[in-house]
Amino acid sequence: MASADKLINTDVPEKDVFALHFLQSLSNLKTQNPLNSPAKSIDRVRKIKKAAYVSMARAAGGTSRLWSRALLRRAAKDDNKSVRFSRRKRKVTWKISSKRRKSNNQRAPVVEEAAERLRNLVPGGGGMETSKLMEETAHYIKCLSMQVKVMQCLVDGLSQK
Amino acid sequence: MSNRKSRSRQTGVPMITEEQINDLVLQLHRLLPELGNNRRSGKVSASRVLQETCSYIRNLSKEVDDLSERLSQLLESTDSAQAALIRSLLMQ
Repeated sequence: MASADKLINTDVPEKDVFALHFLQSLSNLKTQNPLNSPAKSIDRVRKIKKAAYVSMARAAGGTSRLWSRALLRRAAKDDNKSVRFSRRKRKVTWKISSKRRKSNNQRAPVVEEAAERLRNLVPGGGGMETSKLMEETAHYIKCLSMQVKVMQCLVDGLSQK
Repeated sequence: MSNRKSRSRQTGVPMITEEQINDLVLQLHRLLPELGNNRRSGKVSASRVLQETCSYIRNLSKEVDDLSERLSQLLESTDSAQAALIRSLLMQ
């Protein structure tokens, strides 16, 4: 296996980083929407969910990861804001049109089929090549599970009151 | 590493071999929760790993949804929510 340089870098920050970002998002939500305003519960849930994803993307490195970048972009589009991208040292065209991608990928069709499903799940996956998709998926999975842990802790702590 | 650079400029298409893909998939597999999938004797089929990854992601998203709902209810009912939040996180 001569693939030492292909080792996926799946270092994610500590749980505290995720917790901090999430708490900040939540407190922002509270200041924007005072509790006595008659907001529908579905809206609140949706806002919390969105805050969870956005804070996760920020905690995971902001715009330095393809999936987090796509996530933040999607969220900013909803709010009609614009996202600032940090300057990268090398120019990466991180959006490959699907036609070109299809010609690049001459893999086993079985693998490609499953990869296609994965692409729909990972944010920003549509423009990624299969190998890049693997990396991003690995990182995404780790961050997602971390976020779930944080939220679970919160819920547990709050319900114990 | 030079592979990455040329790919990013999209000049040529360096062939990333099947073997490398399989290796990446293996690494992915190691991240998945070991639900009865521990170290099969032979190779783990790549598509199988990808399928499980898909369902794992879906599970996690569903958990995020559920937890968001619960959080929304909990936050609604408590006034001193902020102190409670910080407290609960410190007592991990």
